[in-house]
Amino acid sequence: MMNMLSVTGLTAGYGRVTVLHGIGIEAGKHGNVGLFGPNGHGKTTLLRAVSGLLKPKAGSIVFDGADITGESARSIVARGLVHVPQGNTLFPDLTIADCMSLGAFSPHARPHEAANKERVAALFPKLAERWRQRVRTLSGGERQMVSIGVALMSHPKLLILDEPTLGLAPKIKDELCKAVLDISKAGVPLIVVEQDVEFLLELTNHLYFINHGQVETEIKPGDSLAHSDIMAMYFGQ
Amino acid sequence: MNALADILFGGLFQGSLYAMMAVGLALVWTTIGVFNFSHGVLMMLGAYFAWQLVDWGLTAALAFPIAVLLMAGVGWVLQATVVRPLIGRANLVLVVVITTLAAGSLIENGVLELWGPRSKQIPPLVAGNAMLGGVGVSLHQIAIIVVTPIILLALWLFLNRTRLGLALRAVAQNEDAARLVGLNVTMLYGLAFAIAASLAALAGIFLGGYRFMTPVMGADPLLKALIVVVFGGISSISGPIFAAYLIGFFEAICSYYFGLYWTPALLFAALILTLMIKPEGIFASRSRGLA
Repeated sequence: MMNMLSVTGLTAGYGRVTVLHGIGIEAGKHGNVGLFGPNGHGKTTLLRAVSGLLKPKAGSIVFDGADITGESARSIVARGLVHVPQGNTLFPDLTIADCMSLGAFSPHARPHEAANKERVAALFPKLAERWRQRVRTLSGGERQMVSIGVALMSHPKLLILDEPTLGLAPKIKDELCKAVLDISKAGVPLIVVEQDVEFLLELTNHLYFINHGQVETEIKPGDSLAHSDIMAMYFGQ
Repeated sequence: MNALADILFGGLFQGSLYAMMAVGLALVWTTIGVFNFSHGVLMMLGAYFAWQLVDWGLTAALAFPIAVLLMAGVGWVLQATVVRPLIGRANLVLVVVITTLAAGSLIENGVLELWGPRSKQIPPLVAGNAMLGGVGVSLHQIAIIVVTPIILLALWLFLNRTRLGLALRAVAQNEDAARLVGLNVTMLYGLAFAIAASLAALAGIFLGGYRFMTPVMGADPLLKALIVVVFGGISSISGPIFAAYLIGFFEAICSYYFGLYWTPALLFAALILTLMIKPEGIFASRSRGLA
Protein backbone atom coordinates (compact mmCIF):
# COMPACT_ATOMS: atom_id res chain seq x y z
CA MET A 1 0.00 0.00 0.00
CA MET A 2 1.19 3.47 -0.91
CA ASN A 3 1.57 6.14 1.67
CA MET A 4 -1.72 7.98 1.86
CA LEU A 5 -0.19 11.03 3.43
CA SER A 6 3.40 12.24 3.24
CA VAL A 7 4.44 15.37 5.02
CA THR A 8 7.98 16.53 4.26
CA GLY A 9 10.01 19.41 5.62
CA LEU A 10 6.95 21.21 6.87
CA THR A 11 7.50 24.60 8.49
CA ALA A 12 4.53 26.43 9.93
CA GLY A 13 3.53 28.70 12.76
CA TYR A 14 1.44 31.63 13.84
CA GLY A 15 2.55 35.12 12.86
CA ARG A 16 6.28 35.39 13.50
CA VAL A 17 6.35 32.38 15.77
CA THR A 18 7.47 29.22 14.03
CA VAL A 19 6.12 26.08 15.67
CA LEU A 20 7.02 23.39 13.18
CA HIS A 21 10.65 23.19 12.05
CA GLY A 22 10.76 21.01 8.96
CA ILE A 23 8.68 18.18 10.32
CA GLY A 24 7.98 15.05 8.27
CA ILE A 25 5.59 12.15 8.83
CA GLU A 26 4.16 9.33 6.74
CA ALA A 27 0.73 7.81 7.25
CA GLY A 28 -1.37 5.14 5.69
CA LYS A 29 1.34 2.57 4.92
CA HIS A 30 1.15 0.67 8.14
CA GLY A 31 -2.39 1.44 9.10
CA ASN A 32 -2.93 3.89 11.92
CA VAL A 33 -0.44 6.47 13.05
CA GLY A 34 -0.11 7.86 16.53
CA LEU A 35 1.44 11.18 17.48
CA PHE A 36 2.52 11.91 20.99
CA GLY A 37 4.74 14.27 22.87
CA PRO A 38 4.55 17.12 25.33
CA ASN A 39 1.95 19.84 24.91
CA GLY A 40 2.91 22.95 22.96
CA HIS A 41 5.38 21.20 20.67
CA GLY A 42 3.46 21.24 17.43
CA LYS A 43 1.15 18.23 17.24
CA THR A 44 -2.00 20.30 16.80
CA THR A 45 -0.22 22.80 14.55
CA LEU A 46 0.89 19.94 12.32
CA LEU A 47 -2.67 18.66 12.03
CA ARG A 48 -4.04 22.14 11.34
CA ALA A 49 -1.51 22.57 8.53
CA VAL A 50 -2.39 19.17 7.09
CA SER A 51 -6.13 19.90 7.03
CA GLY A 52 -5.66 23.35 5.50
CA LEU A 53 -6.64 25.48 8.49
CA LEU A 54 -3.12 26.87 8.59
CA LYS A 55 -1.02 27.78 5.55
CA PRO A 56 2.44 26.23 5.83
CA LYS A 57 5.48 28.45 5.28
CA ALA A 58 7.56 25.73 3.65
CA GLY A 59 7.51 22.04 2.95
CA SER A 60 5.03 19.82 1.20
CA ILE A 61 1.99 17.74 1.99
CA VAL A 62 0.98 15.00 -0.41
CA PHE A 63 -2.31 13.18 0.07
CA ASP A 64 -3.59 10.33 -2.06
CA GLY A 65 -1.08 11.12 -4.79
CA ALA A 66 -1.86 14.84 -5.01
CA ASP A 67 0.10 17.78 -3.65
CA ILE A 68 -2.28 19.55 -1.28
CA THR A 69 0.19 22.03 0.21
CA GLY A 70 -1.56 25.36 0.75
CA GLU A 71 -4.93 24.12 -0.50
CA SER A 72 -8.07 25.36 1.25
CA ALA A 73 -9.60 23.29 4.01
CA ARG A 74 -12.66 22.92 1.81
CA SER A 75 -10.88 21.18 -1.04
CA ILE A 76 -8.89 19.03 1.38
CA VAL A 77 -12.09 17.76 2.99
CA ALA A 78 -13.43 17.08 -0.49
CA ARG A 79 -10.43 14.78 -1.08
CA GLY A 80 -11.44 12.71 1.93
CA LEU A 81 -8.86 13.96 4.44
CA VAL A 82 -11.01 14.79 7.45
CA HIS A 83 -9.88 16.43 10.67
CA VAL A 84 -11.58 16.30 14.06
CA PRO A 85 -9.95 19.18 15.95
CA GLN A 86 -9.10 19.17 19.61
CA GLY A 87 -11.96 20.09 21.95
CA ASN A 88 -14.23 20.90 19.03
CA THR A 89 -17.12 23.03 20.26
CA LEU A 90 -18.89 22.51 16.93
CA PHE A 91 -21.97 24.63 16.32
CA PRO A 92 -23.55 25.27 19.72
CA ASP A 93 -26.97 26.35 18.46
CA LEU A 94 -27.45 23.65 15.87
CA THR A 95 -29.01 20.28 16.56
CA ILE A 96 -27.09 17.03 16.22
CA ALA A 97 -29.06 16.31 13.05
CA ASP A 98 -28.06 19.72 11.62
CA CYS A 99 -24.40 18.99 12.34
CA MET A 100 -24.63 15.64 10.61
CA SER A 101 -26.17 17.22 7.58
CA LEU A 102 -23.35 19.81 7.52
CA GLY A 103 -20.86 16.94 7.74
CA ALA A 104 -22.21 15.76 4.41
CA PHE A 105 -21.86 19.23 2.85
CA SER A 106 -18.93 18.25 0.65
CA PRO A 107 -20.17 17.05 -2.77
CA HIS A 108 -18.22 13.80 -2.52
CA ALA A 109 -20.00 12.93 0.73
CA ARG A 110 -23.57 13.62 -0.42
CA PRO A 111 -24.22 10.28 -2.14
CA HIS A 112 -23.18 8.44 1.03
CA GLU A 113 -25.18 10.61 3.41
CA ALA A 114 -27.89 8.10 4.34
CA ALA A 115 -25.46 5.22 4.76
CA ASN A 116 -23.05 7.31 6.82
CA LYS A 117 -25.87 8.51 9.03
CA GLU A 118 -26.80 4.92 9.83
CA ARG A 119 -23.16 4.19 10.53
CA VAL A 120 -22.94 7.09 13.01
CA ALA A 121 -26.18 6.04 14.67
CA ALA A 122 -24.89 2.48 15.03
CA LEU A 123 -21.56 3.69 16.39
CA PHE A 124 -23.08 6.14 18.88
CA PRO A 125 -26.54 4.90 19.88
CA LYS A 126 -26.54 7.63 22.50
CA LEU A 127 -26.67 10.32 19.83
CA ALA A 128 -29.29 8.55 17.77
CA GLU A 129 -31.66 8.89 20.70
CA ARG A 130 -31.52 12.68 20.64
CA TRP A 131 -31.04 13.71 17.11
CA ARG A 132 -32.99 16.98 17.65
CA GLN A 133 -31.01 18.14 20.68
CA ARG A 134 -28.84 21.24 20.49
CA VAL A 135 -25.08 20.78 20.68
CA ARG A 136 -24.67 23.31 23.49
CA THR A 137 -26.72 21.11 25.82
CA LEU A 138 -24.46 18.09 25.35
CA SER A 139 -21.72 16.91 27.68
CA GLY A 140 -18.09 17.05 26.59
CA GLY A 141 -18.06 13.36 25.72
CA GLU A 142 -21.27 13.55 23.73
CA ARG A 143 -19.93 16.57 21.87
CA GLN A 144 -16.81 14.61 21.01
CA MET A 145 -19.07 11.85 19.66
CA VAL A 146 -20.90 14.39 17.50
CA SER A 147 -17.54 15.71 16.29
CA ILE A 148 -16.43 12.26 15.22
CA GLY A 149 -19.88 11.61 13.76
CA VAL A 150 -19.68 14.78 11.67
CA ALA A 151 -16.26 13.69 10.41
CA LEU A 152 -17.66 10.29 9.40
CA MET A 153 -20.45 12.06 7.53
CA SER A 154 -17.68 13.69 5.45
CA HIS A 155 -16.85 10.18 4.19
CA PRO A 156 -13.17 10.13 5.18
CA LYS A 157 -10.42 8.21 3.42
CA LEU A 158 -8.10 9.21 6.23
CA LEU A 159 -9.34 10.48 9.56
CA ILE A 160 -7.39 12.78 11.87
CA LEU A 161 -8.36 12.73 15.55
CA ASP A 162 -6.78 15.32 17.80
CA GLU A 163 -7.00 14.17 21.41
CA PRO A 164 -10.38 12.49 21.13
CA THR A 165 -10.52 11.58 24.81
CA LEU A 166 -9.12 14.77 26.32
CA GLY A 167 -10.71 15.64 29.63
CA LEU A 168 -13.36 12.94 29.58
CA ALA A 169 -14.62 10.80 32.44
CA PRO A 170 -13.26 7.22 32.35
CA LYS A 171 -16.57 5.58 31.46
CA ILE A 172 -17.32 7.79 28.49
CA LYS A 173 -13.68 7.66 27.49
CA ASP A 174 -13.87 3.85 27.22
CA GLU A 175 -16.93 4.24 25.05
CA LEU A 176 -15.11 6.63 22.74
CA CYS A 177 -11.99 4.47 22.55
CA LYS A 178 -14.16 1.54 21.52
CA ALA A 179 -15.86 3.65 18.85
CA VAL A 180 -12.49 4.81 17.51
CA LEU A 181 -11.28 1.19 17.34
CA ASP A 182 -14.49 0.25 15.52
CA ILE A 183 -13.93 3.00 12.95
CA SER A 184 -10.41 1.77 12.45
CA LYS A 185 -11.57 -1.84 12.05
CA ALA A 186 -14.09 -0.71 9.45
CA GLY A 187 -11.09 0.24 7.30
CA VAL A 188 -10.62 3.98 7.84
CA PRO A 189 -6.95 4.69 8.55
CA LEU A 190 -6.40 7.12 11.42
CA ILE A 191 -3.91 9.69 12.59
CA VAL A 192 -4.43 10.07 16.31
CA VAL A 193 -2.94 12.46 18.82
CA GLU A 194 -3.46 11.04 22.26
CA GLN A 195 -2.03 11.37 25.73
CA ASP A 196 -3.32 7.97 26.83
CA VAL A 197 -0.41 5.75 25.86
CA GLU A 198 -2.31 2.51 26.51
CA PHE A 199 -5.01 3.51 24.07
CA LEU A 200 -2.46 4.69 21.53
CA LEU A 201 -0.61 1.37 21.67
CA GLU A 202 -3.85 -0.55 21.31
CA LEU A 203 -4.67 1.47 18.21
CA THR A 204 -1.34 1.46 16.43
CA ASN A 205 2.29 0.46 16.53
CA HIS A 206 3.48 3.26 14.27
CA LEU A 207 4.23 6.25 16.45
CA TYR A 208 5.93 9.59 16.18
CA PHE A 209 7.31 11.32 19.21
CA ILE A 210 7.08 15.04 18.48
CA ASN A 211 9.22 17.47 20.39
CA HIS A 212 10.25 21.07 19.61
CA GLY A 213 8.32 21.04 16.33
CA GLN A 214 10.21 18.07 14.97
CA VAL A 215 9.97 14.31 14.96
CA GLU A 216 12.38 13.26 17.67
CA THR A 217 11.76 9.54 17.41
CA GLU A 218 9.82 7.41 14.99
CA ILE A 219 8.68 4.05 16.24
CA LYS A 220 7.95 1.75 13.31
CA PRO A 221 5.87 -1.40 13.47
CA GLY A 222 8.07 -4.24 14.58
CA ASP A 223 10.17 -2.09 16.86
CA SER A 224 9.85 -3.45 20.31
CA LEU A 225 8.43 -0.88 22.60
CA ALA A 226 7.24 -0.85 26.11
CA HIS A 227 5.02 1.54 27.95
CA SER A 228 7.99 2.55 30.02
CA ASP A 229 9.99 3.55 26.92
CA ILE A 230 7.31 6.05 25.99
CA MET A 231 7.16 7.37 29.52
CA ALA A 232 10.91 7.85 29.35
CA MET A 233 10.52 9.91 26.17
CA TYR A 234 7.94 12.12 27.82
CA PHE A 235 9.78 12.71 31.01
CA GLY A 236 13.41 12.15 30.08
CA GLN A 237 15.60 9.44 31.50
CA MET B 1 -64.39 50.09 14.76
CA ASN B 2 -62.55 52.95 13.23
CA ALA B 3 -59.94 52.94 15.98
CA LEU B 4 -59.37 49.23 15.68
CA ALA B 5 -58.95 49.38 11.91
CA ASP B 6 -56.62 52.34 12.27
CA ILE B 7 -54.41 50.63 14.82
CA LEU B 8 -54.47 47.28 13.05
CA PHE B 9 -53.56 48.80 9.72
CA GLY B 10 -50.98 51.18 11.14
CA GLY B 11 -49.36 48.44 13.18
CA LEU B 12 -49.18 45.99 10.32
CA PHE B 13 -47.80 48.59 7.95
CA GLN B 14 -45.14 50.00 10.27
CA GLY B 15 -44.30 46.51 11.49
CA SER B 16 -43.77 45.28 7.94
CA LEU B 17 -41.48 48.19 7.16
CA TYR B 18 -39.48 47.74 10.35
CA ALA B 19 -39.20 44.00 9.82
CA MET B 20 -37.95 44.56 6.28
CA MET B 21 -35.34 47.05 7.50
CA ALA B 22 -34.21 45.06 10.50
CA VAL B 23 -34.00 41.58 9.08
CA GLY B 24 -30.96 42.33 6.91
CA LEU B 25 -29.16 43.90 9.82
CA ALA B 26 -29.97 40.86 11.96
CA LEU B 27 -28.84 38.49 9.22
CA VAL B 28 -25.39 40.07 9.02
CA TRP B 29 -25.05 40.13 12.78
CA THR B 30 -26.05 36.49 13.20
CA THR B 31 -23.84 35.20 10.40
CA ILE B 32 -20.76 37.42 10.48
CA GLY B 33 -21.07 38.86 13.95
CA VAL B 34 -20.78 42.50 12.94
CA PHE B 35 -23.19 45.40 12.79
CA ASN B 36 -23.46 46.89 9.35
CA PHE B 37 -23.85 50.61 9.89
CA SER B 38 -24.19 51.23 6.18
CA HIS B 39 -27.45 49.28 6.14
CA GLY B 40 -29.51 52.47 5.99
CA VAL B 41 -27.38 53.78 3.14
CA LEU B 42 -27.86 50.51 1.26
CA MET B 43 -31.60 51.04 1.69
CA MET B 44 -31.28 54.50 0.14
CA LEU B 45 -29.03 53.30 -2.68
CA GLY B 46 -31.49 50.55 -3.58
CA ALA B 47 -34.26 53.12 -3.84
CA TYR B 48 -32.10 55.38 -6.01
CA PHE B 49 -31.16 52.49 -8.31
CA ALA B 50 -34.86 51.74 -8.70
CA TRP B 51 -35.60 55.41 -9.38
CA GLN B 52 -32.86 55.63 -11.99
CA LEU B 53 -34.03 52.51 -13.80
CA VAL B 54 -37.61 53.78 -13.84
CA ASP B 55 -36.33 57.14 -15.06
CA TRP B 56 -34.58 55.39 -17.93
CA GLY B 57 -37.98 54.08 -18.97
CA LEU B 58 -38.10 50.64 -17.42
CA THR B 59 -41.39 49.51 -15.93
CA ALA B 60 -41.49 49.18 -12.15
CA ALA B 61 -42.01 45.42 -12.47
CA LEU B 62 -38.66 45.21 -14.21
CA ALA B 63 -36.80 48.02 -12.46
CA PHE B 64 -37.41 46.85 -8.87
CA PRO B 65 -36.03 43.31 -9.23
CA ILE B 66 -33.02 44.65 -11.15
CA ALA B 67 -32.34 47.22 -8.42
CA VAL B 68 -32.56 44.48 -5.79
CA LEU B 69 -30.14 42.28 -7.74
CA LEU B 70 -27.72 45.18 -8.27
CA MET B 71 -27.77 45.80 -4.54
CA ALA B 72 -26.87 42.16 -3.90
CA GLY B 73 -23.72 42.91 -5.88
CA VAL B 74 -23.10 46.09 -3.93
CA GLY B 75 -23.49 44.14 -0.68
CA TRP B 76 -21.00 41.56 -1.85
CA VAL B 77 -18.45 44.21 -2.84
CA LEU B 78 -18.95 46.10 0.41
CA GLN B 79 -18.29 42.92 2.35
CA ALA B 80 -15.20 42.12 0.32
CA THR B 81 -13.73 45.59 0.77
CA VAL B 82 -14.54 46.80 4.27
CA VAL B 83 -15.42 43.65 6.22
CA ARG B 84 -13.61 40.55 4.99
CA PRO B 85 -10.07 41.95 5.22
CA LEU B 86 -10.69 42.69 8.90
CA ILE B 87 -12.04 39.30 9.95
CA GLY B 88 -9.86 37.87 12.67
CA ARG B 89 -8.73 41.25 14.01
CA ALA B 90 -9.20 42.15 17.62
CA ASN B 91 -12.19 44.45 18.26
CA LEU B 92 -13.75 43.33 15.00
CA VAL B 93 -17.19 44.62 15.95
CA LEU B 94 -15.96 48.14 16.67
CA VAL B 95 -13.65 48.28 13.67
CA VAL B 96 -16.45 47.25 11.35
CA VAL B 97 -18.75 49.89 12.85
CA ILE B 98 -16.19 52.46 11.70
CA THR B 99 -15.50 50.96 8.27
CA THR B 100 -19.18 50.47 7.42
CA LEU B 101 -19.99 53.97 8.66
CA ALA B 102 -17.20 55.31 6.47
CA ALA B 103 -18.36 53.33 3.44
CA GLY B 104 -21.92 54.49 4.09
CA SER B 105 -20.82 58.10 4.25
CA LEU B 106 -18.92 57.75 0.96
CA ILE B 107 -21.92 56.19 -0.76
CA GLU B 108 -24.26 58.79 0.68
CA ASN B 109 -22.17 61.68 -0.60
CA GLY B 110 -21.62 59.89 -3.90
CA VAL B 111 -25.38 59.70 -4.36
CA LEU B 112 -25.73 63.36 -3.43
CA GLU B 113 -23.11 64.22 -6.03
CA LEU B 114 -24.62 62.00 -8.71
CA TRP B 115 -28.35 62.49 -8.28
CA GLY B 116 -28.48 65.79 -6.40
CA PRO B 117 -30.33 66.77 -3.25
CA ARG B 118 -33.77 67.26 -4.81
CA SER B 119 -36.21 64.73 -3.41
CA LYS B 120 -37.51 62.06 -5.71
CA GLN B 121 -40.22 59.47 -5.69
CA ILE B 122 -40.49 56.05 -7.27
CA PRO B 123 -43.79 54.56 -8.42
CA PRO B 124 -45.72 52.60 -5.79
CA LEU B 125 -45.85 48.81 -5.95
CA VAL B 126 -49.55 49.11 -6.69
CA ALA B 127 -51.16 52.41 -7.62
CA GLY B 128 -54.48 53.57 -6.18
CA ASN B 129 -56.33 53.76 -2.91
CA ALA B 130 -58.92 51.76 -1.07
CA MET B 131 -61.25 52.06 1.91
CA LEU B 132 -60.68 49.46 4.56
CA GLY B 133 -62.94 49.37 7.65
CA GLY B 134 -63.56 53.07 7.32
CA VAL B 135 -59.90 53.95 6.88
CA GLY B 136 -58.52 55.23 3.63
CA VAL B 137 -55.34 53.40 2.66
CA SER B 138 -53.14 53.25 -0.39
CA LEU B 139 -52.79 49.98 -2.25
CA HIS B 140 -49.01 50.44 -2.00
CA GLN B 141 -49.27 50.06 1.76
CA ILE B 142 -51.51 47.02 1.41
CA ALA B 143 -48.98 45.52 -0.99
CA ILE B 144 -46.20 46.04 1.57
CA ILE B 145 -48.30 44.39 4.28
CA VAL B 146 -48.89 41.38 2.01
CA VAL B 147 -45.46 41.08 0.39
CA THR B 148 -43.30 41.47 3.52
CA PRO B 149 -44.45 38.33 5.37
CA ILE B 150 -44.01 36.31 2.18
CA ILE B 151 -40.42 37.48 1.81
CA LEU B 152 -39.66 36.96 5.49
CA LEU B 153 -41.16 33.48 5.33
CA ALA B 154 -39.07 32.70 2.26
CA LEU B 155 -35.95 33.88 4.09
CA TRP B 156 -36.85 31.80 7.14
CA LEU B 157 -37.43 28.72 4.99
CA PHE B 158 -34.13 29.28 3.20
CA LEU B 159 -32.24 29.55 6.49
CA ASN B 160 -33.99 26.67 8.22
CA ARG B 161 -34.90 24.23 5.48
CA THR B 162 -32.01 24.27 3.01
CA ARG B 163 -28.48 23.00 3.39
CA LEU B 164 -27.05 26.31 2.20
CA GLY B 165 -29.15 28.13 4.81
CA LEU B 166 -27.90 25.70 7.41
CA ALA B 167 -24.34 26.46 6.34
CA LEU B 168 -25.04 30.17 6.67
CA ARG B 169 -26.33 29.65 10.21
CA ALA B 170 -23.35 27.49 11.10
CA VAL B 171 -20.52 29.64 9.79
CA ALA B 172 -20.99 32.26 12.50
CA GLN B 173 -20.86 29.78 15.32
CA ASN B 174 -17.50 28.20 14.66
CA GLU B 175 -15.41 29.22 11.69
CA ASP B 176 -12.79 26.48 12.01
CA ALA B 177 -15.40 23.76 12.33
CA ALA B 178 -17.23 25.28 9.36
CA ARG B 179 -14.10 25.05 7.23
CA LEU B 180 -13.41 21.50 8.35
CA VAL B 181 -16.74 20.26 7.02
CA GLY B 182 -15.99 21.96 3.72
CA LEU B 183 -17.96 25.18 3.94
CA ASN B 184 -16.74 28.07 1.80
CA VAL B 185 -16.51 30.66 4.55
CA THR B 186 -15.66 33.54 2.19
CA MET B 187 -18.61 32.75 -0.08
CA LEU B 188 -21.01 32.47 2.86
CA TYR B 189 -19.92 35.84 4.25
CA GLY B 190 -20.44 37.40 0.84
CA LEU B 191 -23.81 35.74 0.53
CA ALA B 192 -24.95 37.04 3.91
CA PHE B 193 -24.08 40.59 2.90
CA ALA B 194 -25.62 40.20 -0.56
CA ILE B 195 -28.93 38.98 0.90
CA ALA B 196 -28.88 41.72 3.55
CA ALA B 197 -28.26 44.42 0.93
CA SER B 198 -31.07 43.05 -1.25
CA LEU B 199 -33.46 43.16 1.66
CA ALA B 200 -32.32 46.71 2.39
CA ALA B 201 -32.96 47.66 -1.23
CA LEU B 202 -36.44 46.23 -1.01
CA ALA B 203 -37.10 48.23 2.14
CA GLY B 204 -35.81 51.31 0.27
CA ILE B 205 -38.19 50.65 -2.61
CA PHE B 206 -41.07 50.28 -0.15
CA LEU B 207 -40.13 53.59 1.47
CA GLY B 208 -39.50 55.44 -1.77
CA GLY B 209 -42.93 54.49 -3.03
CA TYR B 210 -44.81 56.47 -0.43
CA ARG B 211 -42.33 59.00 0.92
CA PHE B 212 -39.98 61.37 -0.82
CA MET B 213 -36.46 60.09 -1.27
CA THR B 214 -33.34 62.00 -0.31
CA PRO B 215 -29.74 60.83 0.03
CA VAL B 216 -30.15 60.81 3.83
CA MET B 217 -33.39 58.84 3.85
CA GLY B 218 -31.60 55.80 5.27
CA ALA B 219 -30.52 57.35 8.56
CA ASP B 220 -33.84 57.14 10.35
CA PRO B 221 -34.66 53.60 9.17
CA LEU B 222 -31.21 52.44 10.30
CA LEU B 223 -31.90 53.80 13.77
CA LYS B 224 -35.29 52.08 13.80
CA ALA B 225 -33.75 48.85 12.58
CA LEU B 226 -31.17 49.01 15.37
CA ILE B 227 -33.93 49.52 17.93
CA VAL B 228 -35.87 46.59 16.51
CA VAL B 229 -32.85 44.30 16.51
CA VAL B 230 -31.78 45.24 20.03
CA PHE B 231 -35.35 45.03 21.28
CA GLY B 232 -36.02 41.64 19.68
CA GLY B 233 -32.69 40.20 20.64
CA ILE B 234 -29.69 39.87 18.40
CA SER B 235 -29.46 36.12 18.64
CA SER B 236 -31.84 35.13 15.91
CA ILE B 237 -33.58 36.17 12.76
CA SER B 238 -37.08 35.51 14.07
CA GLY B 239 -36.63 37.66 17.20
CA PRO B 240 -36.25 40.95 15.28
CA ILE B 241 -39.12 40.01 12.97
CA PHE B 242 -41.53 39.57 15.88
CA ALA B 243 -40.09 42.67 17.54
CA ALA B 244 -40.66 44.71 14.38
CA TYR B 245 -44.37 43.93 14.39
CA LEU B 246 -44.58 44.42 18.14
CA ILE B 247 -43.01 47.88 17.82
CA GLY B 248 -45.23 48.64 14.84
CA PHE B 249 -48.33 47.92 16.90
CA PHE B 250 -46.93 49.69 19.94
CA GLU B 251 -46.39 52.81 17.86
CA ALA B 252 -49.80 52.54 16.23
CA ILE B 253 -51.49 52.30 19.62
CA CYS B 254 -49.41 55.11 21.14
CA SER B 255 -49.91 57.49 18.25
CA TYR B 256 -53.64 56.81 18.26
CA TYR B 257 -54.16 57.39 21.98
CA PHE B 258 -51.30 59.72 22.94
CA GLY B 259 -50.41 61.35 19.65
CA LEU B 260 -47.40 61.19 17.37
CA TYR B 261 -45.48 63.57 19.60
CA TRP B 262 -45.32 61.15 22.53
CA THR B 263 -44.73 57.99 20.55
CA PRO B 264 -40.91 58.01 20.32
CA ALA B 265 -40.57 58.81 24.03
CA LEU B 266 -42.94 56.01 24.99
CA LEU B 267 -41.17 53.62 22.64
CA PHE B 268 -37.80 54.34 24.20
CA ALA B 269 -39.28 54.06 27.69
CA ALA B 270 -40.60 50.62 26.78
CA LEU B 271 -37.25 49.71 25.24
CA ILE B 272 -35.29 50.77 28.32
CA LEU B 273 -37.67 48.89 30.60
CA THR B 274 -37.40 45.77 28.45
CA LEU B 275 -33.63 45.84 28.41
CA MET B 276 -33.51 46.33 32.19
CA ILE B 277 -35.58 43.22 32.71
CA LYS B 278 -34.23 41.14 29.83
CA PRO B 279 -30.91 42.57 28.60
CA GLU B 280 -30.58 40.02 25.80
CA GLY B 281 -33.85 41.21 24.17
CA ILE B 282 -37.34 39.86 24.53
CA PHE B 283 -37.22 37.00 22.07
CA ALA B 284 -33.60 36.08 22.56
CA SER B 285 -31.61 33.29 23.97
CA ARG B 286 -28.21 34.22 25.26
CA SER B 287 -26.07 33.31 22.30
CA ARG B 288 -25.60 34.53 18.80
CA GLY B 289 -26.78 32.39 15.94
CA LEU B 290 -29.84 32.08 13.79
CA ALA B 291 -32.81 30.08 14.89
